[in-house]
Amino acid sequence: MSLISCKSLTIWTIFAMALQIAGLYLFVLGFFPVKPALSGASGPESYRPPGNESFEDFDVSSMNSDDLRSLYLELSEVPPLYSRLILLVVDGLPAEFVLGKDGKPPTKAFVDAMPYTRSLLANGMATGYHAKAAPPTVTMPRLKAMVSGAIGGFLDVALNFNTQAFLDDNLLGQFFRIGWKMTMFGDETWLKLFPKLFTRKDGVSSFFVKDTIVVDLNVSRHMPEELNRDDWHLMILHYLGLDHVGHIGGRKSVLMPPKLREMDDVIKMIHLDSILSNDSKQGDTLLLVVSDHGMTESGNHGGSSYEETDSLALFIYPSSKAPSDDVSVIKDTMNQVDIAPTLALLFGVPIPMNNVGVIVVDCLLSLTDGQLLRALELNSWQLLRLLKAQLPGLSCVVSASGYPADTRWSKVSLCSGTVEEMFCCLYSKAASLHTFWKSSTTSRSDSGLHYNHTVNAYHDFLMTASEWLTRKVTDKPFGQLAFGILAMVLSSLVFLRLLFCLRIEECLKENQGCAEMKSWSLEEIFVVVVVVFLVVSMGSSSMVEEEQYIWHFLTATLFWIIIRKVMKSLPLGDQDRLNKSSYNSRFSQLCSILVMLICGRIIRAWHQGGVNWTHLPDISKWLTQAGRSQEKAIRVLSVISVTSLSLLAFSKSRLNKLFSNLLQFFFLLSGYLVLQHVMIHQDDEFLVSGHGATFMAQIIYAVLSIVTCFTVLASPWLSPVTTCKESASNRQLDCSQSVKNRMISLSKGLNESAYLTGWAYVISWSLLQLLLQKPSNSMPVFLLLLQISAAMTYFSSNGAYRKSWVEVSALYFIGMAGHFGLGNSNTLATIDVAGAFMGISSHSTVLSGILMLCITYASPILVLLSLTMYVSLKNESYYGLDHTLDFGLLLKTVLAVPFLVPLGINSVLLVAYTIVLLQMRNHLFIWSVFSPKYLYVCATTACVYIGTFILTANVLYISLVYTLRRKRMSEVVQTTEREVIDQ
Amino acid sequence: MEGNTNLQASTFGLLWWHLLCSSGIPTAFWVAHRFQSVNLISTPHRTLLVLWVIQCPFVILLSSFFRINPRDCSYLKAVGRGVLGLFAGALVFALGAISLGAPVGSTYMLGTINWSLLMSLLTVSPAAAIFGSSWVDWKRIFAHTRPAGSVDFMVCLPAHGSIVGAWFGAWPMPLDWERPWQEWPICVTYGALVGYLIGMVASLVLGFFSRRKPYIKAD
Repeated sequence: MSLISCKSLTIWTIFAMALQIAGLYLFVLGFFPVKPALSGASGPESYRPPGNESFEDFDVSSMNSDDLRSLYLELSEVPPLYSRLILLVVDGLPAEFVLGKDGKPPTKAFVDAMPYTRSLLANGMATGYHAKAAPPTVTMPRLKAMVSGAIGGFLDVALNFNTQAFLDDNLLGQFFRIGWKMTMFGDETWLKLFPKLFTRKDGVSSFFVKDTIVVDLNVSRHMPEELNRDDWHLMILHYLGLDHVGHIGGRKSVLMPPKLREMDDVIKMIHLDSILSNDSKQGDTLLLVVSDHGMTESGNHGGSSYEETDSLALFIYPSSKAPSDDVSVIKDTMNQVDIAPTLALLFGVPIPMNNVGVIVVDCLLSLTDGQLLRALELNSWQLLRLLKAQLPGLSCVVSASGYPADTRWSKVSLCSGTVEEMFCCLYSKAASLHTFWKSSTTSRSDSGLHYNHTVNAYHDFLMTASEWLTRKVTDKPFGQLAFGILAMVLSSLVFLRLLFCLRIEECLKENQGCAEMKSWSLEEIFVVVVVVFLVVSMGSSSMVEEEQYIWHFLTATLFWIIIRKVMKSLPLGDQDRLNKSSYNSRFSQLCSILVMLICGRIIRAWHQGGVNWTHLPDISKWLTQAGRSQEKAIRVLSVISVTSLSLLAFSKSRLNKLFSNLLQFFFLLSGYLVLQHVMIHQDDEFLVSGHGATFMAQIIYAVLSIVTCFTVLASPWLSPVTTCKESASNRQLDCSQSVKNRMISLSKGLNESAYLTGWAYVISWSLLQLLLQKPSNSMPVFLLLLQISAAMTYFSSNGAYRKSWVEVSALYFIGMAGHFGLGNSNTLATIDVAGAFMGISSHSTVLSGILMLCITYASPILVLLSLTMYVSLKNESYYGLDHTLDFGLLLKTVLAVPFLVPLGINSVLLVAYTIVLLQMRNHLFIWSVFSPKYLYVCATTACVYIGTFILTANVLYISLVYTLRRKRMSEVVQTTEREVIDQ
Repeated sequence: MEGNTNLQASTFGLLWWHLLCSSGIPTAFWVAHRFQSVNLISTPHRTLLVLWVIQCPFVILLSSFFRINPRDCSYLKAVGRGVLGLFAGALVFALGAISLGAPVGSTYMLGTINWSLLMSLLTVSPAAAIFGSSWVDWKRIFAHTRPAGSVDFMVCLPAHGSIVGAWFGAWPMPLDWERPWQEWPICVTYGALVGYLIGMVASLVLGFFSRRKPYIKAD
């Protein structure tokens, strides 16, 4: 009869779970490489070789900016070549448009469109580079790369989720520290990244893609005035129009040449202005024209094709500082990250700490030989520091004494061995050549040759190091990813197979109408459809953004399908009319479904989630506007409702009266405490973090956990209240009958204890959420609880046969719909950080992380906890009368479906989303939409594991106690029987 | 199965019912465009009003001819219960739409009311006119979806078509295409009408087939 034994079920489940965890681990590590970034910012110590970092003699924090600037000037030995910078960012301009490709000039239309820039390049007044950008070729990460020289990983973005501000060491921060005044006109991304740095600013939004004109006029209108001022050191102009043109019409858009001409005019205007041609009192000004990324033929970007990564870096020098003629004006390529160290050295600030770029030597040619070597040395030291952070084994000791002018050093060009050895070898070669060059400058016999050797050696080291560091961040190990996905797919298949087995077994168990049971009913098909729809919708970025609509829509539809099912069994025929109880039961079923529907709709209306329609009115906004008193009233009302629901639930318990009264008292107490906390501490936001509030929250945590643990541990040992009259009147019944009665009552006790424990979990969790969640979220918590209890009422009512896996899936859907109803979304911005510090007296990342998970996943965990209650509803029919029930079969019947269904659904979604993520790795929205969603999917997986673990542990404990008591009882019965026989 | 199974209608009646009921929708669109100069996208609630008002006589008056046991029940009575069913069904549809996430608020109220009247007209009204209070038939058609006979098909398939069509029509709504027709209840109405017409075709075809069978058996 049973298709699969408990043992093999357990083994397969554990196998699939382990496989899934391993696969997820491999995939996440492969897809989101963790880059050990150095924290802090480069200071004076960057002018000293790595190793002796002690710099006590300079207290940088107390220094004012002028002192710091002169300190840098003194230490660096590389004088700043320029003192003002105009950074002209042309969003989405491919370098090909300006510089041509493979030695060929750009197309005629583009050459004609940019006459001034072409003439600058032709006269040697400018040098242009194809600056290779790293994917994702999206504006924000690219701007970060340009100013910090670092290629960030996704997890860096994810880990500082409550701010978009750029906190890593970067050029703008360095400039700010030496007292530069900065202005910014253009894309507001800069303002998000650097909210406080700019003295004058005008942000334009990149949201209106259709607008190609005004967005640029809004930048250019500031220029005449700004060029006349001399109080700024850095002016950033970020033009979005060209990117918009690309998005509308692609590379060959008719709007492209006019737009390029407009950009050319901007360059001409700046270059012809007095500040670049004359020596103003502010010093020389460098105009750097860059683009953040390129575009494909159709004008999109985000991926890693040549067209998208081909961005521009065009250094336009003031006329006095134009390099000599022998330098070819169009260089092959550089990396976009090379801009950061080059600018740092050109302007006399330390190279940002996490920079992986290499200075562009051609831009520094007006330095003397010694200064240039020093610049290379500074860059090498910085990269060596970064390498040391990634390779802890790296320790290069370079002897201070110069090596003899041995030709050996110039010939040993190959450095091999482990990565550490290779870097060490390359670096020490360069360093010793440098030392030797320095010592031999007095005798200038062959210094030119030595100089070239040294530059080449430094270059070798810098290139190798930079390439290695870059690859470490951007490379995706496809073997590992494929293996991870394969493992997840396999585990998902195992879960599905097990579920399928269980479904068939359930069919077999119900003897009545087995043929009909075997065919898939509408609600079963619909549950499958829901999963399929979810999987399909994950491929669309806007569906991911607006996922809450899908969950609510599908859950509500499932409820309607259940209503239809209830209607189906509504007794209408003449023979059924007399059956009054059937009517009543149908009526109560309908009522509970309606309660679920109404609660679900109210929860859905509570938060206008997602991305695109957040501005529309919703209940939480209305509550916040209505003021604190209303908010408080709602919160108090919810606490009272939750507490009274708990009182009601425990009063229905058939276990020991004293016990349930005790539970009632405790939950009343904790409800009172939460209420007190709300009353006292909600009004004043400052008080919430105060000592009293923290202590009170800790007391609430303690009370809730104690009462839950107590219920879990004690309830299986109690017997249900036997209806005394019956047992009194049946004294004459024979021994076996009474044993049977006692067995039945024992198994009823098992059910009761599962029921009570489930309620205790759910109520404690809800009270905890009422404490932690935002005040406006308190009502949805109660509504969720109501929804779950209505679902339980419906599931417990007998009547139409329902598949238990459909019921558990329905609960899972309620949980996910509620998750979004509590205001969560798939962006990291909606995570409530404020509540995560409730009741924590000292700062602890782990504790507040746990609280954050509790707040964010309040609803799915609530549902998973309620599964304990669900267990008690289902098994009544199975074992009450079965004497020969063994432990394994008991566990299987009780646990298998509620355990496997959440895991199964989640595994399918996880696998589907993993594949979607891999496919979308070059999508424009990979960092903003898909990756955050993946973090949420992973967190949901963790929640499902936690929830199912609690369920399993609890049911295992209850069943163990139950079998133990059965055994003891049968022993007692045997001894009494023996005594009877002896007498 | 209990109830009035295998209700058959004449070929002529069947053809006319399907033809006229289907032609009501394009007529309504034409009227809305010609005389009211409104369309579904610009002023959805007005167009929906025109739609259901024009479709109403077609559906109710024609369906009443097919009422069960016509001897006990006069034609006017059937028309009356069709109208009653229209409003009662609209209530259910309005609640259903709101429970599935239709926006509640004064701006959308007229749209919701007119949409639910239209839906009710396409689904509940014909059933009400034909079956009246014979709940067994209702249960057979709507809860079990077991139509038998051409009249059953005629009630069942367009009704289910428009409900399923409306359900699918709601899917583009959350997408960020920024098209005016993504508003409630425009695309849902389109979905419902498409589903209704498909259901019409299907019921016509199946109706003829189910008619032919008894004849074959009789031969």
